[in-house]
Amino acid sequence: MEPIDQELEEGELELPSQPMSLNMGPSHPAMHGTVRIVMELSGETITKADVQIGYLHRGFEKMCERGNWTQVFPYVDRCNYASPMLNNVGFALAVEKLLGVTVPERCQYYRVVLGELARIADHLTSQGAMAMELGAFTPMLWFIKGREMIYDIMEEETGARLTHSFGRVGGMAKPPSDHFKPMVAQVLPRVLSILGEAEALLLQNRIFMDRLQGVGKISAADAIALGWTGPCLRATGVPYDVRKAHPYLVYDRLAFDIPVGQEGDNWDRFMVRIEEIRQSVRIIEQALEQMADQGPVNVDDPRIVLPPKDEVYSTIEGTIQHFKIVMEGIKVPAGEAYGYTEGCNGELGFYLVSDGSGTPYRVRIRPPCFAITAGLGGLVTGLMIPDVVPTFGSLNMIGGECDH
Amino acid sequence: MPTFKLDGREIPFEKGDTIIRAAHRMGIDIPHYCWHPGLSVAANCRMCLVEIAPPPGQRPMQLDILEWDAEKHDYVVAKKPKLQPACQIAVAENMEVKSESSPEVEKARSQVQELLLLNHPVDCPICDQAGECRLQDYWLEHQGTKKRMRDEPVHKPKAVVFGPTIVYDAERCIVCTRCVRFSAEIAKDPVLDERQRGNLTEIVVSPGRLLDHDYTLMTEHVCPVGALTSSDFRFKARVWFLRSARTLCMGCATGCNAYLDYDPRTMTPHRHRPRENMAVNQYWMCDEGMLSYTRVTGDRLLEARIAGRPSTFEAALAEVKRLFAGVPKESIACVLSAQHSYESNFALVELASKFIGTTALFTSGKPKGKRDDILIHEDKNPNTLGVKKLAPSARPFDQLLEGLLTGTYTHVIALGTDLPGQPELLEAPLSRAAAIVTMASHDGPFVRRASVALPASTWAETEGTYINSRGMAQRSERAIDPKGESRPAWELVALVGRTLGYATEWKKLKAVRREMEPEASAPADRPVGA
Repeated sequence: MEPIDQELEEGELELPSQPMSLNMGPSHPAMHGTVRIVMELSGETITKADVQIGYLHRGFEKMCERGNWTQVFPYVDRCNYASPMLNNVGFALAVEKLLGVTVPERCQYYRVVLGELARIADHLTSQGAMAMELGAFTPMLWFIKGREMIYDIMEEETGARLTHSFGRVGGMAKPPSDHFKPMVAQVLPRVLSILGEAEALLLQNRIFMDRLQGVGKISAADAIALGWTGPCLRATGVPYDVRKAHPYLVYDRLAFDIPVGQEGDNWDRFMVRIEEIRQSVRIIEQALEQMADQGPVNVDDPRIVLPPKDEVYSTIEGTIQHFKIVMEGIKVPAGEAYGYTEGCNGELGFYLVSDGSGTPYRVRIRPPCFAITAGLGGLVTGLMIPDVVPTFGSLNMIGGECDH
Repeated sequence: MPTFKLDGREIPFEKGDTIIRAAHRMGIDIPHYCWHPGLSVAANCRMCLVEIAPPPGQRPMQLDILEWDAEKHDYVVAKKPKLQPACQIAVAENMEVKSESSPEVEKARSQVQELLLLNHPVDCPICDQAGECRLQDYWLEHQGTKKRMRDEPVHKPKAVVFGPTIVYDAERCIVCTRCVRFSAEIAKDPVLDERQRGNLTEIVVSPGRLLDHDYTLMTEHVCPVGALTSSDFRFKARVWFLRSARTLCMGCATGCNAYLDYDPRTMTPHRHRPRENMAVNQYWMCDEGMLSYTRVTGDRLLEARIAGRPSTFEAALAEVKRLFAGVPKESIACVLSAQHSYESNFALVELASKFIGTTALFTSGKPKGKRDDILIHEDKNPNTLGVKKLAPSARPFDQLLEGLLTGTYTHVIALGTDLPGQPELLEAPLSRAAAIVTMASHDGPFVRRASVALPASTWAETEGTYINSRGMAQRSERAIDPKGESRPAWELVALVGRTLGYATEWKKLKAVRREMEPEASAPADRPVGA
């Protein structure tokens, strides 16, 4: 008996298939961050994708309403746990906007350096993780080696590798340590050399290129319509960066470029992030040069900044100052403000409302990942299941930020 | 009304007002320690200094001073306006006063504050006043500078026992003499005074005396700093953890307005302190009233009891039904309580007259006690007039005892714990009763004799209206959750009524209030019929 489809070309062969539902996540090794994608498949092609966040919902915004303003810092640490310093500084800047204070210049440089270090660490982590999810385990080890060097600096400065809680309203928890500058200066070239080695492992790799190039494309108009910012938007060719568009801290004094992509695909997003690491290194080098070695870090206002600990224990004035700030909180004048900075995934905004008491009346976060994750479903529709992994990885969703 | 200008704002004043009093009436706070609206003026803290513009055509009052000139590196002769205490200067029409708007005043406040803290011990972490201390508030608002003095501060006696209720710390004291003036002027017992001079001044009790008049805790209350502390509240709670409910004092018929401070985490009341009401208690309260909150937690009846043994509510109510089955209504007596709220008594009056149909109403309450001409009333019940208004024909408690002895009444439904008269005289008549159902908050003679006892909430656990000796209906807010199984007394009355088959359908306090006459459910602090 002859097979019935003998005369058909192989390309025309169509297997009869029923739509199939596939559940990816929320706990899946390739889904970094707890998120679930419910996909409807036709064969191996995704016809519909429903992205469900909320598996990392802690009610962060509500929690902020019960402590004082300073007690919000540990929470924002955990919004983007890959670059907590950027969140710390972003929140501090928003409260300072409401208070109408500006931190001393030395502190501004310090915040820039720490923030850019955090950006490097974040990009190294996320891109390393993406490579690993595609099977490239070795590059991941390289990326993480670089990241750990930066985490060592963070640990030296703040006492914690990851959740530093180092920002303060009106300054930082501590001034830069004596060996801060040489430490950073030594680490940067090593990070760059590690990055070069890791690039050599990936950028010529046929499998890696095939899975990234031309996959997960989005147009600039679509990305803007979704509210995308950060590397994902810049990969589509839109050079929007809060640091350039609305400079804060001392970014207007530092020379750096905004890398952009052309296609808006996974490859562009990967390459934008890699280039941003190099730009961050440039920023840090300039900032270290301009940053003063001496001088105040915190604003000189007893209503905002805690007194030195020895004064708390030995003078009544110090005790009262400490008591007022710790027990009642910093009195932020009634009003509202939106403070926004360039987080490592895009515009990180804090919309704050104060009723004049020591406790925030409302803290609303505008996390970059929330808008970006909203585009994931559309991006993977029409792709194959294996394309979900690099697409999702290159968007770099951080579950903690999608706390809505 | 004539006006004067304070920081450019027109402020009306009455004849004889001082600047601070006129501003205080308008809700403007001129910082002060020693001034108290209810006490005489001492003008010794110098915190309320203000700048007063000279009358037209006159030179301003100025002082010659030596000012440090950093450029010349020497002191130079300069002038500054003579500031005057706002608490002492009487207001005149069109007077121009600068308080916040004068840099000289701000400077003076900062310096006064610095001097007050000069010898102050580092006590905030162990001081009960922390969190409501003027020194802390004003440091932040008016000083904000660090310590400049390098010398050892002056040391003075600490934890001096002034009397059974008050402990004094001379190092924390700013010698504003509020406590001295309070004792002399309000309590009429000038038992406190100052000793020594300058930074060695301290407050002392008269030799051979203790601070033991009836208003000693008020000296602690008026103290703007942590110098006087109450032995009752000392080290018990930190004030920033406490919440306040606007309550009434249940100690006597005066009905002083108060705040009950309680810890919302443990639902424990910690402090009872006066709430300003010029028509009742002004700013004050007596010691007994301030300590009366302890009874909210002490010696409570927290579960239903049948013949003295703990039981469930259901079993207790079943027992009530059994005991009252087929009893003629003439044999049932109801006892109202002047200790309980108007609402609870109203519920019982309704049950008795409208549903059961008995006219045998009696009143109970605490026996008469001590009185004075300040606040303490001899009637120790907060709601005597309320009961009288609800049941004008209610008879005194003695007549119930007689009725029990003669057998006129065999069944009793009673509200309240406290009974007038000697406990041993109650024994015989109460033992003659066939059944006593009592709704009480505390253990007592009635509860011990009762066939069925139901646990009632205290005033701190339920809202209620009380009519004081001047006929003012006032409301007391609920502070804490009811302890144990206890429920508001009106709810227990409704439960008993329903158990006996009557339509006492009140489920909420609102429902009870709807049935009350409108004037008795008037908002708090308004006299009935006024």
